[in-house]
Amino acid sequence: MNHLAYLDAGSGSLIVQAVVGGIAGVAVAAKLYWRRLVSRFRRQPTDQS
Amino acid sequence: MVIPDLGRAVWPPARSGTGPRVEPGSFRDPANQVFHAGGDVLRALDETAAAHWRALAGSTFFPQLVAAGKVCGTEELPPGAARELLAVDRLDGTEQRPAWAAVLRHERIPFVSHPYEWSYAMLRDAALLHLEILRVALPAGFTTKDGSAYNLQWRGSQPVFIDVGSFAPLREGEPWAGYRQFCQTLLYPLLLGAHLGLDFQPWLRARIDGIEADQMSGLLRGLRRLSPGVLTHVHLHRSVQRRNAARSTADVRAQLRDAGYTRQMALATVRGMEKLVRRLDHRPPASHWVDYQRTCGYSGADRAGKERFVTAALTGARRSRLVLDLGANDGHYSRLAARHADYVVAVEQDPAVVDRLYLALRDADERRVLPLVLDLADPSPGGGWRGVERASFVARTGADTVLALALVHHLAIGRNVPLPEVVACLAGYAAPGGRLVVEFVHPDDPMAVRLLANKPDGIFPDYRRDAFEALLQGCGSVEDRLELPSGTRTLYQVTLGG
Ligand SMILES: C[S@@+](CC[C@H](N)C(=O)[O-])C[C@H]1O[C@@H](n2cnc3c(N)ncnc32)[C@H](O)[C@@H]1O
Repeated sequence: MNHLAYLDAGSGSLIVQAVVGGIAGVAVAAKLYWRRLVSRFRRQPTDQS
Repeated sequence: MVIPDLGRAVWPPARSGTGPRVEPGSFRDPANQVFHAGGDVLRALDETAAAHWRALAGSTFFPQLVAAGKVCGTEELPPGAARELLAVDRLDGTEQRPAWAAVLRHERIPFVSHPYEWSYAMLRDAALLHLEILRVALPAGFTTKDGSAYNLQWRGSQPVFIDVGSFAPLREGEPWAGYRQFCQTLLYPLLLGAHLGLDFQPWLRARIDGIEADQMSGLLRGLRRLSPGVLTHVHLHRSVQRRNAARSTADVRAQLRDAGYTRQMALATVRGMEKLVRRLDHRPPASHWVDYQRTCGYSGADRAGKERFVTAALTGARRSRLVLDLGANDGHYSRLAARHADYVVAVEQDPAVVDRLYLALRDADERRVLPLVLDLADPSPGGGWRGVERASFVARTGADTVLALALVHHLAIGRNVPLPEVVACLAGYAAPGGRLVVEFVHPDDPMAVRLLANKPDGIFPDYRRDAFEALLQGCGSVEDRLELPSGTRTLYQVTLGG
């Protein structure tokens, strides 16, 4: 169990902090979304087979 | 989340009770629990929290924050003393939870207040302190588990971070878990004032978890989107929340870590928010009370007599630990009282007046006068879980001395409160055997005449000096009285319950 997380930090509230965390933070948010996108495309062919 | 057995807490607290009592506002984080025992404020920690505490106590930043008065004074009790102070059955594991592993004792905050009783500048300074604490904790490898306005209290005009249980080691690659709470209970209320000119107090009073991004985004449309902080912390925040509502925070934390999130980014966020919060300002519309000292119509002789009377009341008997100055306005008498008492709470309904008073007290670094926004005709009710998580104003009173100077006519005439009710209410704010120092403005005084002019003739037949005196005699013994030289105001000192 993540002992730190007694509070629901909110998934969106976590991501936004990358966006407001300077240029490097924006890059992290972009990378996160890019990876989500890529993994969706990767999954699709196997889903169809 | 495990909610400890709040039902066993004794409420309302027996004032003389010595057994440990669970603080009803401390249950959300099961890793620690605040108790009151005798006059002490104790915090019990579970195994993990105790390890975190020891790491914190061994850090360099934490003792510095305590020494600067920014975090409340805290010490760990030796195990023996801890067991004596806390009921043994809570420690020995008879409940379905492991025994507490350590007990801390905290400095006592002289008067607990809630964020909806603070003025704008107070909320802003509280927010800045929270951010500062996070800014110095992060490089040392610590974070705070939450970001609530309720983590803060006051020593007079100095904000203090009280939730020592909130510190925990930082996990590399994770953003601040308290950001959402910070937005909801601190940043958004400040935006309401700065960008919409609204007083935040009613919003926070009505919603224990603060204002949500969803609600804020509805209020800040059109060009207001471009106001500082709105596009990112409100609109973007809300849309990212919506898009990620189905994802768990555990997944998102892992994704952020994999994408390379670092504590430098967390620091940049905190710095950005500090810069934003410092820019936010709200001047509540100035009411005529702001100018009261110029327009109040006291002659120099009246004022001198009143000051002497109040001073004598405060110095004549046992030193007061707590003085309530009701209808404090610019705090003239609060500051006078602070010279002869341990702590003064200056209660005033007008947010603009309290804001000015706070800034003046802050400039003077006054640690013994706490200004609060509160309408005595509608004092803070109990709030939160079971209505006791945030204690009502009435439950927090019990002053040694209550000052009610040039106030009674506002309640009796201005708010139509029957005179016996006014007297009973004022007396009720004092502890048994306490003192009431009260000024009665006669019906022919210009200020009373002005208030009466707005009401139909003769609807306050009881608003007379003799009726008022009879009521005072009914609740104690009148030790002293003084008619001011102008002849339209009388001061009384009453020992209550006599
Ligand atoms: C006439 S001034 C007195 C100020 C100061 N006590 C003195 O004697 O110089 C009255 C003050 O009481 C405040 N007041 C009036 N009604 C109040 C209420 N219901 N709750 C809190 N404050 C109130 C007003 O805003 C004003 O600042």
